[in-house]
Amino acid sequence: MIQRAMFMCFVVLLASCNESPYMQGKRLYAANCANCHMDDGSGLASLIPPLKSSKLIGDVSMACVIAYGIRDTIFRDSVFLPREMPSFTRLSETEVTNIINYVNHTWHNDFKETTILDVEAALKKCPK
Amino acid sequence: MKYKSLWLGCLALMVLLSCRQNAELPYLGQTTLQDGKTVHHKVGTFACYSQDSQLVDNAVLSQHIYVADFFFTSCPSICPRVIKEMMKINDRFKDEPMVKLVSFTIDPKRDDVARLKLYADNLGIDQSKWYFLTGDKDAVLDLANTFFVPAFEDKDAPGGFDHSGKIILVDKEGHVRSFSEGTDPETTPKLLDDIQTLVDTYKKATK
Repeated sequence: MIQRAMFMCFVVLLASCNESPYMQGKRLYAANCANCHMDDGSGLASLIPPLKSSKLIGDVSMACVIAYGIRDTIFRDSVFLPREMPSFTRLSETEVTNIINYVNHTWHNDFKETTILDVEAALKKCPK
Repeated sequence: MKYKSLWLGCLALMVLLSCRQNAELPYLGQTTLQDGKTVHHKVGTFACYSQDSQLVDNAVLSQHIYVADFFFTSCPSICPRVIKEMMKINDRFKDEPMVKLVSFTIDPKRDDVARLKLYADNLGIDQSKWYFLTGDKDAVLDLANTFFVPAFEDKDAPGGFDHSGKIILVDKEGHVRSFSEGTDPETTPKLLDDIQTLVDTYKKATK
């Protein structure tokens, strides 16, 4: 009985030591997103939006932004200026799901887990 | 006797540390001898346009010490990290008029004055202190080498350019005095200290 209790304590301790339950998402974020959005999701002033406070956190349509990027144009002093985020079409749906779950779960946000089926459905509805 | 040695040791360490703090920064790069005089490496000459269409050249910056980096606004790799470290330098020395910041674009074809202006506006920085410069592409790529920053076109690299993220400290005479790795925030505090040391050196010299 004592041995079993000790084993359970060990498992709980081990689980609490683990920084993020989405390690694959963390690696993918570091490789694809962190150069711009930074390791801590703080972004870069008004150039690159912070993820911590993004309205896309917890929204599965984030899949569209990751997969297809953002293309926007600003009109200033008779000049059209591009403002964009690159697309990541090379990422698989599984990888996009892992990134979304990591981002949704980090920085003290806690949303329900996004599944690959959720991402597949969201990607079909992306504005082209 | 035992305590005496300990105190002496502590005193020696304090003297050593205080000497280190006031030590002059080294001159980086190759040193040559000309007519028996030591000549230190200098960054190359440049004349580029800023985000405000102001012509900025070596002469404009000769009244200042400055930190420089080489970047491009559509860079999908290291540039935002480097600019973030430049912002830390900007914040620390925002009230020190001797210090300027200079970001040279290595992609002038896309980064014209208007685009650099948009970039600077979105950073929300004091644009009289931080110049974003555009000029002739080949000249800027050659110039980068004189700052010890490798930069070249590479169609296989993200964004079409390969370059290092070093942030370089240049003194009023155009000598390279220190640097940090813009991609490694842990190297920034040392550069901040070095900038302060250089500022103090010039201030002492004018007293």
